[in-house]
Amino acid sequence: MELFDVKGLNFAYPECTENTLHNVDLTIEKGEFAVLCGSTGSGKSTLLRMLKPELTPLGSVSGDIRFKGESISAIDRRASSASIGYVMQAPEQQIVTDKVWHELAFGPENLGMPREDIARRTAETASFFGIGEWYDRDTHSLSGGQKQLLNLASVLVMDPEVIILDEPTAQLDPIAASDFITAIKRLNQELSMTVIIAEHRLEEIVPVCDRLIVMENGRIIFNAPPSEVIMNMNEDLLRFMPSAARIYRTLGNENEECPLTVRQGRSFIEKNFRTEIRSLPSQKKEFKSDSYALEMKNVRFRYSRDSKDILKDLELKVRQGEIFTIVGGNGCGKTTSLKCASALVKPYSGTIKVFGKKLKEYKNRTLYKDCLAMLPQDVQTVFMCDSVREELKLANADISSLPFDISNLLDKHPYDLSGGEQQLAALARVLAANPKILLMDEPTKGLDALYKHKICKILHQLKDSGVTIVIVTHDIEFAAECSDRCGMFFDGHIVSVGTPDEFFAENSFYTTAVSRMTRGIYDKIVTVSQAEEICRLNGRKDGLK
Amino acid sequence: MISFSSLNPAVITVWFLSVSAIAMFCNHPVITILTLTGAVLFYLIRNKGGHLRSHLFFLVLFLILSIANPIVSHNGATVLFVMNNNPVTLESLLYGINSSAMIVGVLYLLRSFTQIMTSEKLLYVTGRLSPKLSMIMSMAIRFVPLFSKQGQKVNDTQKVLGLYKDDNFIDDIKGHIRVFSIVSTWGLENGIITADSMEARGYGTGRRTQMTRFGFTFSDGTVLAASLVLTALCAAAVAAGKISFNFYPRLISSEFGFMGIVGSAAYALLVFMPLLIETEVKLRWNYLMSKD
Repeated sequence: MELFDVKGLNFAYPECTENTLHNVDLTIEKGEFAVLCGSTGSGKSTLLRMLKPELTPLGSVSGDIRFKGESISAIDRRASSASIGYVMQAPEQQIVTDKVWHELAFGPENLGMPREDIARRTAETASFFGIGEWYDRDTHSLSGGQKQLLNLASVLVMDPEVIILDEPTAQLDPIAASDFITAIKRLNQELSMTVIIAEHRLEEIVPVCDRLIVMENGRIIFNAPPSEVIMNMNEDLLRFMPSAARIYRTLGNENEECPLTVRQGRSFIEKNFRTEIRSLPSQKKEFKSDSYALEMKNVRFRYSRDSKDILKDLELKVRQGEIFTIVGGNGCGKTTSLKCASALVKPYSGTIKVFGKKLKEYKNRTLYKDCLAMLPQDVQTVFMCDSVREELKLANADISSLPFDISNLLDKHPYDLSGGEQQLAALARVLAANPKILLMDEPTKGLDALYKHKICKILHQLKDSGVTIVIVTHDIEFAAECSDRCGMFFDGHIVSVGTPDEFFAENSFYTTAVSRMTRGIYDKIVTVSQAEEICRLNGRKDGLK
Repeated sequence: MISFSSLNPAVITVWFLSVSAIAMFCNHPVITILTLTGAVLFYLIRNKGGHLRSHLFFLVLFLILSIANPIVSHNGATVLFVMNNNPVTLESLLYGINSSAMIVGVLYLLRSFTQIMTSEKLLYVTGRLSPKLSMIMSMAIRFVPLFSKQGQKVNDTQKVLGLYKDDNFIDDIKGHIRVFSIVSTWGLENGIITADSMEARGYGTGRRTQMTRFGFTFSDGTVLAASLVLTALCAAAVAAGKISFNFYPRLISSEFGFMGIVGSAAYALLVFMPLLIETEVKLRWNYLMSKD
């Protein structure tokens, strides 16, 4: 049965000459799992909002949207708010009330359901999502992943027929994001819930979806099963796809099935490629200097006297002019170590030196002038003004000296920018202080594949101009691609350090998809481009080019 | 019977309002003594003693208020001594002690009350009066910690970015004002998303119901009925002038009579009711445990 039927939909925002959506045709069947992807600004959010009457933006619309055969504007508000569920990006801001149980009850309350029904529904939903344990908690005390799960649950408690998700994992760390995606997969498979999701974390979601819909400039350019779409898409869009599919696109041929998961990718390589050459010729990297930009020695820190140590004998040495990445799970102290290094909090024992000088010798906040800067995880906290232009003026920034171009953003309000644009604007503001050492907390949070690539390029440019960069991230693929050395943070200190090739090749769980795919077949292959290179060097078993 | 703090919040509120109303309207020393002992004992039992510092605070408050009255007010017939040409009287001193005992008693009660009434229970009670108000309060309660957390984050970021140029007091204040202003903008901006999220879940599509997690059990009914009856008995006695006390010019208590005695006994029961309930619950628990 068709749930949604969109025909010839055009849409333009008020005072915009160009249409945001062009002639969109789309049908969604009941029980289907559809993934919508495309770069930022391609019209994904607008299309999704057109499918939810309560959130339809103002503007000029032409075309027809039908929900279960009925024109969407004619549906009763109560019915549409219950049967079309919608989850947005921001975990925190979607929550309305102060208690978890009340948040769950909020939707049914609005529908005027009898009290006993609400109690049954909330109990049922809470058990399905495993929320029972934090049913009594205050909503502000939850973690980001829990908040987003709560948002999903409090939509499902209204018993919708379809659930629409607009980049729900963009602000979550990878572990919470994959939990969230697992929950959605379960909904689709166990309850045959219809799911329409816009996402850019596609590694896990593409293998399970029925249909991949790709948008570009307000048009749907692909709408087919994933393997079919991957065969035809261009280089830029391909960056969004799972690693296995990317390798296949460069090296496979049409007779083979397109691999999507790590397991399929592994058997694709095993079946088709010879393995005489085990590893790529190693490139010895020369370091410009042997002096250290940041040294932390035996650092111990705790937030209050009675709490546990967050940092335990932390030892960290970052050479001048390198990009050092710290990876590790949630709440292991990564962010706290950056706070210590930037003198926001004081460790109770140990020494921290920046360019050979102890932190307390930087009197009168000279540390933050032409020396050290930090880009926080929540980049919105960087902005203080009503436009990017004023923002840069406040910081005395010179746009022409930046290694990237943000001139098109200058007159916008910082809060109106997309995640990637905000990151760039914030970076511009931070670089205005001419830092010699730059600390970055989760720089890829909420960015799509293209922006990640862009940030990576910018970081290398900065490095070439002599800036030392310390990154804290969950994003393993990003760490493998852009860093000179990586360190694994666990239980309050760094347990192992190495170049990305060694580091990720040694890890067996905490490593990139490509490394998991090539383990035991090749050595020290960590990124997609390395995998492509080694396969090419070895050649195909069947001798084809 | 279940423990007093797990009764229906509305019942607890009725009890609290009745006790404090009688305590504040009737200044008879008997009532004051009952209020003070009841309130302090209940607080001690609930907090297993409590912090020494908070008791010290109440003691100091009690002493200051007691002494303040005879210094300011010179009514009364029995002069104790003369200070700066002003007489300090026994009646005035006793009046001061009585009033400060009443104030401290009510403050102890209030303390136990705020401990028992979590935000959730308060919302339930206001929700009975006005569902809209309770909804707004629930959103406000959520917003306060959110706002201060964001303020702290912005402050940290701006510090590292050099918003505060040097260790300068005025510069710091200016910086804090800026942070406050941007966090307000942030709050409004986020409000739009919250509004969307509310509308998406059907807010404002018609009459809404209110889910509560508090039932009304037999225990609740009993305690509510007992509170109302006891309050009525005591209030009747006070209204009939059977429990009244004049400090000035001389100390004179009204004739209690039968009604006065019943009224005072009713008040005693009312004040000690939570204590009785807690003790009963504890004893029964111990008894049940000992049977194994």
